[in-house]
Order: sequence, then C-alpha cells, then structure tokens
Amino acid sequence: METTSSNIQTTFHSIGSSTDWVVMVVYFIAIMLFGSYFGRYNRSTKDFFFGGRRFAWWLIAFSIVATGVGSHSFVKYSAKGFEYGFSSTMTYINDWFFIPLFLFGWLPIIVYTKIRSIPEYFEKRFSPSARFLATVLLLLYMIGYIGIGFLTLGKAVIPMLPENFELLGMQFDITLMGAIAVIAVITGIYITFGGQTAVIFTDLLQGFVLLFAGFLLFFLGISYLGGFDTFWNLLPVAWKLPLADLTKPPDFNFVGIFWQDGVAGSVGFLFMNMGLIMRFMATKSVDEGRKAATFNILFMLPLSAIVVGNAGWIGKALSISNPELVPANTSPDQIFVVVANIVAMPGVFGFIMAALTAALMSTVDTLINATAAIYINDIHRPVVKYLQKGKEDKKNTDKRELAAARWSSVIITAFGVVSVLAFKSFPTVYEAHGYFHSTLTPPLVIAIFLGIFWKKFTPSAVISTFVGGVALMILGLHDANLITPFAHGIEMNHSHPYSYIRAFYNLFVCGAVAVIVTYSTTLQQSVVAKIRRKSNHKKISYALIAVAIALFGMVVFNVGIFILQFIGVVIMTSAVAIATTYTVKYDPVAQTEGLTVWSLAKAKEMFKGSKVNEEEGEVINVEWKTKEGDDDIANFSKNDMAKMAANVGDLVYICDARKIYGGLKSVHAVYGEPHEEDGIVMLNNEHLLNGVFKEGKTVTAEKEM
Amino acid sequence: MPAISHTWLPLLYLYGVGGIFFLIGMIIIRKSKAIDLKKKRHRYWYRVLIFGYFYFVAFHVIFTLIAIYW
Repeated sequence: METTSSNIQTTFHSIGSSTDWVVMVVYFIAIMLFGSYFGRYNRSTKDFFFGGRRFAWWLIAFSIVATGVGSHSFVKYSAKGFEYGFSSTMTYINDWFFIPLFLFGWLPIIVYTKIRSIPEYFEKRFSPSARFLATVLLLLYMIGYIGIGFLTLGKAVIPMLPENFELLGMQFDITLMGAIAVIAVITGIYITFGGQTAVIFTDLLQGFVLLFAGFLLFFLGISYLGGFDTFWNLLPVAWKLPLADLTKPPDFNFVGIFWQDGVAGSVGFLFMNMGLIMRFMATKSVDEGRKAATFNILFMLPLSAIVVGNAGWIGKALSISNPELVPANTSPDQIFVVVANIVAMPGVFGFIMAALTAALMSTVDTLINATAAIYINDIHRPVVKYLQKGKEDKKNTDKRELAAARWSSVIITAFGVVSVLAFKSFPTVYEAHGYFHSTLTPPLVIAIFLGIFWKKFTPSAVISTFVGGVALMILGLHDANLITPFAHGIEMNHSHPYSYIRAFYNLFVCGAVAVIVTYSTTLQQSVVAKIRRKSNHKKISYALIAVAIALFGMVVFNVGIFILQFIGVVIMTSAVAIATTYTVKYDPVAQTEGLTVWSLAKAKEMFKGSKVNEEEGEVINVEWKTKEGDDDIANFSKNDMAKMAANVGDLVYICDARKIYGGLKSVHAVYGEPHEEDGIVMLNNEHLLNGVFKEGKTVTAEKEM
Repeated sequence: MPAISHTWLPLLYLYGVGGIFFLIGMIIIRKSKAIDLKKKRHRYWYRVLIFGYFYFVAFHVIFTLIAIYW
C-alpha cells in the first residue's frame, strides 16, 4: 500500500496470492476454449458478425449481461459507490425512456432493412457521403469505447501486479499502458478465431458467472461487516439515496449524468452500439429481440447495478468501521479489488477477479467484433467493389472477407490501446467514460434519431449536423463558458469542465443545426438552382467545399477569436448544406420508404420480398428428411402448412426442438410447394450444414413475421 | 434529512424530462402505426411499455423513502 502525493490517494500493489493467479489463468483458458468451440458455427461473415439470426431471446438477454456489466464495469461503479453510495446505480435504471422508439422503431428497421452496419443505413436513407461521415464518427466512437474498456481492465489488474519486476538482471516498471498492451494481446485471441457466435456463448456463460460473483462479493462483504443491519447503519443517509444531488458536486451530479448517460448514453447504447445491436440482430425475430431488450432493462440491469456497485458500498462501510484497513482516501478506481481481497479468501478472490476481467474482455471483444463489422461493410467492401469494377468472384469473396475481418480485429485492438492515452488523465474511469459519451455520441444520436423518426430530415441536414454540429461542439471544448447556460448551475471544474452536462449542449447544437438546415431546404434548393444556371457551377461547388474545409480547420486548430470562429461555423454550415444539396441526388419518397418508423409495413415487405402474411399460426414439431438441391426451399405437408398458417413463399424458421440450445441449431428458409407426408420437413444439405441438425432429433418449425 | 435537491428534485427531473422523451416516443410509434393496437401482440407490448415506466418510478420512490425513513 502506498500514498501517492500527487492526488493524495492510497494506491495498492501485489494484492492477491499465487492461488488467485492460478484460478485466474485456469478460468481464462476455460473461457477461451469454450469460445473457440463455438467458432465452428461460423460459415460466413454473416455468421461471424451476426451469429446467423437464429437465437432465442433468453440466450441473448443473458449474453447481454456480460456486455452491459463489463462495459459499465465493476471498477467505475464501485468507485462511485465508494465515493457517493447507492446513487452509483442511477445510470443502470434510466434507460426506459427511449425503449418505445427502440423496440418499435430502430429494431424493426435494422432487422427488416437487412443493414449490416449503422453507416449502411445512412447510405440507404441519405447518401454515400453521409455514410462516409457516419463511418468516421462511428469508428471514433467504437474505438474510444474499446479504449475505455482497456483502461478499465488495466486499472483492475494493476493493483494485483507488483510495482516492477526483474528480467535478465534489469528492472522493469509495470505501467498502466504496459499492462494494457499485454491484456490487448490476450483479448484479441478468441475474438479473432471465434466470431459473434463465440462471443454470444462466452458472454452467456460469463453473464451467469458475473451475477454469481457480484452477489457472492456482496454477501461476503455483508457478513465480514457483521450483518446487513451493521452495514446499513454504518452508511450515512445521503449514501443510501438512489439518485445523486441535482447539481453537486461537479464530478457526480444528477442532472449532468442524466443528459450524459440517460439521454446521450442510453440512445448511444441502444441505437449506436453496434456490439449490442448485433446481439439483437442475432435473435431469430424482431419479437424475440424485443423480449431480450425488455427483460434486460427491466430485470437484468437493476440486478447488474447491485453486482457492479456493491464493492464500493462495502468499501465505504469498511472505511467507516475500520479506516486502517480501508483508508477513506483509497483510490476509488482500486476499491473493487481492495474490497474483494479483504472479504474473500485466496482462490475466491482469484475467481472474482477472473470473472471481472473476463467480463471486461467480453465487452471489449464485442466492441472489436462490431468495429470489424463496420470496417468490412463500410470500408473494405466498397473499396474492393470499386477496385474489382464489377468482376466479382463470389466464391472467394466470403473467404477473403472472413480473413479481412480477423485482421481488422487485430488492427482495431491496437487502435483501442492507443486511444487509452486520451482518457487516462481523468481522475476516474467513470469521468473518462462520461466525458467520452458526452463528446462523441451527440452528432450520431441526433442523426440516427431524426433519420428514423423525421421523414423531412434531408442529406444536407445530416451532413451539416456531422460537420457544423461537430464544429460547434469543438467551440464548446475550446471555451467551456459556452456550456454554462446549459449547466443548470453546476459548478465548472476547470481541469475537466462540464464532463457530463456538455452532453446537453452538444445535443442542443447538433439538433439545432439539423432542424435549421432541414427547414431551410427550399432556400438551399433555390440557391443551388441559381448556381446551376452559372457556366462555372462545378467550380462554385468545389469552392464551397474548400471554404468549408478551411473554416473547419480554423475551428479545430482554434485559430482566431471566438466570434470569428462562430461566424466561420455559420458560413461553413451554410456552405456544406448548399454543396450537399448541389451534389447529392436525393429522392425523399424512395429513400424514406421502409427506412423510417412511418413506413415499417413497407420494410417488412421488402424483407420478405412479397406481401406479408399476417395470419397467426402454430409452432409445430416435425422430423426432417434430406432432399437434393442447394436452394433455400423447405417443403412441408399441406396439413402442416395449414397449422402454421403458411403459404408458399412465406419465410420459415426451423430449429432443433431442444430448448437448451436456444436456437444455436437452427436455420431460416422459404416455404416451397407442399408434399403429402405429415410431420416431415424436406431439407437440403445446405440447411443441414447451417442448422447443424442431428440425425433423429425433432425440429420445430414456425412461420416468420 | 438530506436536502430536497438530493431526494425528490432529481426524481421529478428524471421522470419529468425523461417522461417527455417517453411520451414523445409513445406518440410517434402510435401515430406511425409502428405499434398497431388492433394486433393482440402489439397491445401486449403497449402495456409492457407503460408498465416499464411506472415500474421504474415506483422503484425510485420506494428506495428514496427507504433511504430517508428506514
């Protein structure tokens, strides 16, 4: 234990015993073998990234626990639990407000439009240039998120490591960045060779382990303190309240965290986090995705809040009852490890630490997998398509993409490690994460939201939001006084001004740009019409783009006084809006059909390829027989099709009847012409390979949609 | 007794401002017919959505009362 003079915090090293390390290594090997086993279910990039759209809701709901708990982390919530008490849970219990829009807006849109990444949605809804900018912003968001994951992992592991070690007679200091680099290598292994199915199954296992480990720690802590009454009576009343003070202190206040996490974070997590979205897309249907999301938010998140925060609460109680054991000035980011080591015996501590670090790795893995999906869909595929110029070799494309997906995972992991440098100066992981959410999510949140729910939202408005909105956000970074009118009276911390409430300012400026540019569409069109009448109209459009780039550079590099920069932003946004209206061919009818909440019926039709059969049918049990061919057709008897209320051409989901598999052994197909043999489905070899069906085992069949 | 800025004001802000977002969401999905109350399954989901809002209100009210009075 040592007291660092710089921030007057007590920090710990070499916590734990050799037994704990053995337990941790065994746990990691077991998890990696478990994940690798499921790698065999990847037959294409579709499987690698989306798990083949086959799983039951409960499997996804539990596999999300490890992602949610890992990303929100034992480390950061224990830290805030130690500093401020039960209000550390508040960010786990504020996600319901956007659930209607997610369940009945975004989720069906992403499933039915068959988009493989969020930027792809931007191309379909707006234009390729909107897709490009969305890709850039989303990659920054995802890589930053990976960086936060690595930072948390590093902070979790450092207290268990010695301050330095000797090798070949030389002494090496163990630094945070060094530890993170080693963790990154380990993290990259099973994601690279496992894919989404591996992530889902390792997360499923870890979801259960995490809940167990979290509650185990809570009960061990309570009994160490002498029972629940002792624990409860030790805590001050303010520590027991479920929400923080409205505006105090600057590093943990309700209103700032509401806008940062409850609004920007919740929308970011539900609508933008490709890792989470890919989980929902891995469910067998939209309704199963709804069930998974609802169950997760109503039941798993409140439980997770206790799991991740309780070490901090126990730590607080210990710091009152036994300040020599847990000094009140213990580094908050280390409290989880410190408390776990005190209340758990050797071996159990190793198990808890293994569960924590493995969960964090799961989160990071999910994010790496998702970022690789964005890379493949939005960079690799368009570039290859351009280079091949239509001479596509379909047979080898999928093989090459799978290899590219694996290599991109490695490179993204490296970028994630580098991005830690941007966050490590914050006093706690919590603040780093809060600042990250406040700063990176607003432009995409506004763009996705208005794209889905507002038909009038145009390509010029979305691109202006990405450019003009971001420029106004940068002005807020240069001069935090701009944020003061939005701060609800929160005191400005000059070293990290308005870490949370800046989300409100950022959302406001991005939203304002989006709305103003949309409502000025007619004006833009008349300006563009005038430009087109000029003989040098192309040169004028290039000049507008050049002016916008120059003015954006002026804002980024903080050149000139504030008022000049502000005027520059207004001119730049206008130039971007006009240049986009000039350049982009936009059909407001075709490019909103099936892509906004106002035309979901059309999206369903597009998904199926014909009119949707809404009649409700039964789920039936059948045996399977093989047939020749490699098409997508499955044949049932007339009577069985009547039971399922299915017609030829409808979509069918066929699944191993054993519920324990949660849809792992399943396949999607199309109803073909019926035969006369009741209780039998005719499947071809491709179905059997995809579904991994076992000879003699019954399957269930149900009509989709 | 903690100040009201730490007890009931955050709760009012959370379910007031958050409630506005929730209400806008409910109106949009109904008006757009993304949720179609003629369908039995959608009526079920509509009830789940409303239940969820009050479930969390009750959660925070109960835990605030416990913190203050227990």
